[in-house]
Amino acid sequence: MGFSTIVYILLLLPLLGGLTNGLFGKHLPKQFSGALGTGVIFSAFLCVLMLFNHVNEPVQIDLCNILRFDSFSLEINFLIDQLSVWMSLIITGIGTLIHLFSMGYMKEDEGYYKFFTYLNLFIFAMLILVLGGNYFVLFFGWEGVGICSFLLIGFHYSDPVKGISNSLAARKAFVMNRIGDAGLIFALFMLLSTFGTLNFVDISERLSEGVSMHHLTVLGITLCLFLAATGKSAQIPLFTWLPDAMAGPTPVSALIHAATMVTAGIYLVARSNFLFELAPLTQDIVLYIGIATSLFAAFMALRQNDIKKVLAYSTVSQLGLMVVALGLGAYTVAIFHVTTHAFFKALLFLGSGSVIHGMHHEQDIRKMGGLKKVMPITHWTFLIGTLAISGFPLLSGFYSKDEIIGHLFDQNPVLYGVIMVSVLMTAIYMFRLYFLTFHGTFRGTQSTWEHVHESPWTMTLPLVILSVFSALGGLLNLPGLFFHEGAHWLSGYLHGAPGMHNIVHETPNFSTTLGLMAVASALSIGVLAWAYQNYVRRGSVAKSDEALNGWEKLSNRKLYWDEWYDWMVVKPIEWLGFQTNHTVEERGLKSGISGLGMLTGKAGNALRKLQNGYVSSYLSWMVIGMILLVVFYLLNGN
Amino acid sequence: MELILLPLLFGIVSFFIPGRWGRISSLLFAAISLVAVTVKLFYFQPDVKEYFVNNTGTYVLGMTFNMAIDGLGILMLGLSNLVIFLVALSNFNREEASKPSFNGLLFLMQFGLNGVFAAEDGILFYMFWELTLIPVFLMLYWYGAKENHKNLLTFFLYTLFGSLFMLLAILAWGAYTPSYDYNKLMYAAVPSQYVCWIFTGFLLAFAVKIPLFPFHTWQPPTYSTAPMAGTMLLSAIMLKMALFGMIKWMIPLSYSALKFWQLPVIILGIIGILYGAVIALRENNMRKVFAFASISHLGLIAAGIMIFSFDALMGSIIQMVNHSLIAVGLFLCADIATNRFGTSDLQQMGGLAKVAPRFGFWFAVTVLIALSVPLTAGFIGEFLLIKAVFEYQAVFGILAALTLVLGAVYMIRAYQMSSMGAPKITNVADLHWNEMLVLALVAVLAVFLGLYPNGIISLVKPSIQHMLENVQDTTNLIK
Repeated sequence: MGFSTIVYILLLLPLLGGLTNGLFGKHLPKQFSGALGTGVIFSAFLCVLMLFNHVNEPVQIDLCNILRFDSFSLEINFLIDQLSVWMSLIITGIGTLIHLFSMGYMKEDEGYYKFFTYLNLFIFAMLILVLGGNYFVLFFGWEGVGICSFLLIGFHYSDPVKGISNSLAARKAFVMNRIGDAGLIFALFMLLSTFGTLNFVDISERLSEGVSMHHLTVLGITLCLFLAATGKSAQIPLFTWLPDAMAGPTPVSALIHAATMVTAGIYLVARSNFLFELAPLTQDIVLYIGIATSLFAAFMALRQNDIKKVLAYSTVSQLGLMVVALGLGAYTVAIFHVTTHAFFKALLFLGSGSVIHGMHHEQDIRKMGGLKKVMPITHWTFLIGTLAISGFPLLSGFYSKDEIIGHLFDQNPVLYGVIMVSVLMTAIYMFRLYFLTFHGTFRGTQSTWEHVHESPWTMTLPLVILSVFSALGGLLNLPGLFFHEGAHWLSGYLHGAPGMHNIVHETPNFSTTLGLMAVASALSIGVLAWAYQNYVRRGSVAKSDEALNGWEKLSNRKLYWDEWYDWMVVKPIEWLGFQTNHTVEERGLKSGISGLGMLTGKAGNALRKLQNGYVSSYLSWMVIGMILLVVFYLLNGN
Repeated sequence: MELILLPLLFGIVSFFIPGRWGRISSLLFAAISLVAVTVKLFYFQPDVKEYFVNNTGTYVLGMTFNMAIDGLGILMLGLSNLVIFLVALSNFNREEASKPSFNGLLFLMQFGLNGVFAAEDGILFYMFWELTLIPVFLMLYWYGAKENHKNLLTFFLYTLFGSLFMLLAILAWGAYTPSYDYNKLMYAAVPSQYVCWIFTGFLLAFAVKIPLFPFHTWQPPTYSTAPMAGTMLLSAIMLKMALFGMIKWMIPLSYSALKFWQLPVIILGIIGILYGAVIALRENNMRKVFAFASISHLGLIAAGIMIFSFDALMGSIIQMVNHSLIAVGLFLCADIATNRFGTSDLQQMGGLAKVAPRFGFWFAVTVLIALSVPLTAGFIGEFLLIKAVFEYQAVFGILAALTLVLGAVYMIRAYQMSSMGAPKITNVADLHWNEMLVLALVAVLAVFLGLYPNGIISLVKPSIQHMLENVQDTTNLIK
């Protein structure tokens, strides 16, 4: 089978799965819908594995040409290189597990088949996004995942209690992403007028040939691309939609809002590495935005009490770390963290889903506690996820974080200090979450406790598989301290993507790496000990929202970020809309015009009297006359 | 030829077909003309102008009655037939469709529209232009909300008033040529100081019809009180006459005045984009939301036409077609929602998608098409238009792109308030088959054109290129 055949099959599988479920799902048994949805994604995963085995040089597959003008054309093509194949592996691999999980999690839901339709379509759009060979195709996928995300966040839109807030969250996510999309559109315009093409391969070749570009053009393009990335990857200033997006079912949070879609922005910047390398100013902006996001989001996570909200802020914070890596020019490192983060964050979200499922839709950690006894598998896998994300030695997050931190230390020790604060906070809120949920005594009602249960195998199997990857994922890109030949495998692999090989990769020296690792390990273990002492031994429990004050309140209320936006953007625009409608339109323009109209009306009255006084008969005569004239000449003309 | 005359025949016949058969016959008639024009479209040679009537001599007062279609003409002809068909189809289960006068007016309207798009003579263009106003006025008068006859008068007189300036412009132009034939007008040696006035005359007529900010005040009240068919006809096809007029008549004929009017009209277009969008954000009348959305969409198209480059014109033409589709779709959905809830106030709606899932699905699809997501024609159209505006003036491009964001807000808001949340009504009828067919056709066409815009482009490319070359010639002539 040729490359192109595999790619087309790969793309068609989730599409057909989605369409089948969408069209006939209502009449199919639930098990079949779920199995079909999961099956197509697993088959797609096998296709990607075939690609993974064969990929060597970047291969561009041309499909068709949508628009052809003299000055430019818009093509549909796909690019198979190490970066796109690696991303596809994550998408379909994690995707399969989450589909499997959903079969159990969504069992009671009446929209079961719809859920699998949306999920499959999401995978399709996401694959288009990463396999697209140019920015235009990427944009197709980019909008596609946005729409699927909208549908899935608002999945329970008609819920009598939460329906409205769910649909508002969906709308917020879509609109904020649209702001980023506008940035992407402008980047497309500028790229088209600069290069006349949008193909990644062509642009990177032109640039490596040394085509001169005005530095303002590069700056504009990269800033626009990064604006798009801040929308999808939930960075300041566009991050506030992601915590709200937790309104969606938990598998959606795991798949879209943790493992795949939110990393699209990281992918976009890594894909455009050849452009960002030419814009040092943008790189600095990227770096600082990443640091700020990582720090603020970690702070906000400290006093969240909704199990999913904690994980959501943690995702924003981790995405900030990836953006830091992008700002440092360490694109492969960013993708490495994307990978490990996909493992442990999907694990944590699915774990929280298992908890929520077992607790019958209770999400407040203040009402949990002691769950380790009744949910052993969930507990152990969740523990592995927690350790991985907080950088516990030798687990996957340890390696990928350390790599980012190491690069940052090399470049700027002050910023290193700042980011370590974020890393510290990550460990604090994660252990808080873990201990409050699984240790201590149960704080909910007696009747809830009696019904808490471990989840079925479809839910625990993905947890186990993901926990293995979360633990061992670091092996993909070892720092090169001990096994030199196996070190930096992923970085080396990804260097085959366009533009990547031009990037000089300086790894920090042996003793620095070792020192940084020691510090990070100490930090993580220290926090673990402290958290155990605090939450288990002393049995400290999260306070109620009203009892919070000082920094705790700030953290709990997310630094009042939403309120700020409300006052600075939403309210003024709504005020403007209202005033425009009532003052300018109704009182100004319309009364002015109707004054004019009245004048004309009076004049019309006067004129009408000159005729026989019946406007309709006048009109009819005019029509008849015109028609006769036209018919006569039409017949005559032939 | 039959393309022009068939609707006239249908119109007259329809007046005499009694109620029970009326809706079937009107659907049949609309289908026949749609098929006729589709067949024509397939065999059309875009690089030649096909004349229906070609008088070399002149008749009374310089009129020639020439009619012809080129690529752009046949596209618009196809569009008008399509819209009429969709209107007839979406009215099929409504009581209006059983009224002989309603069906008669529909086809008289189509006759007028086809004439406008084929007229090759200035006076004939004007006559058809005014002819379209009468059926739509009567339709609004007889079938619209009774309490709003005042609005209707405003609309009628306003547009009539605007058109008078166009008549003046045509007459003034004709003073310098032996006849009103399009080609003669094109090469007329009009003294340059008058060209700008002539441009202005056309512009006033078109600005009212489109409507361009600040000439739009007749539009939202009219759209919100008219019967559904009237709103569809007005927004989906009548205002396209004005955009078509700008492309075919106003700019090529008085090209040297484009320099003067280009920037002001583009600015008005951009203001219209923002003005319409900002009002739609807070408007609670569902039909008015879509009416203001229409002002917003059309501001961009008008700006694109005034840029008058090949890319911008292509974007405008694609977006014109797309706008017709979404206008039909959105106003149908708005009408259904209004009927089911008994009010068009969004705040009193909610949860319709739950009780009427088919409506929920197709309304969502229509909203996505209106949001110009990739794979739909709107994406290609807006892409080309915003690109052209951006290249003309970067700041304008950025302002125009706000429509992407604001559009998402008001469109999804309308969907969310009407269809999401807990259902506020129970036991409502879901989509009727004909309504579903309309929405499906709209979706299929929008996606088809989004994937294959080359179809439209190759059709209109020769005529647009010809036009762009010609205007250069005529400008040299005058200088």
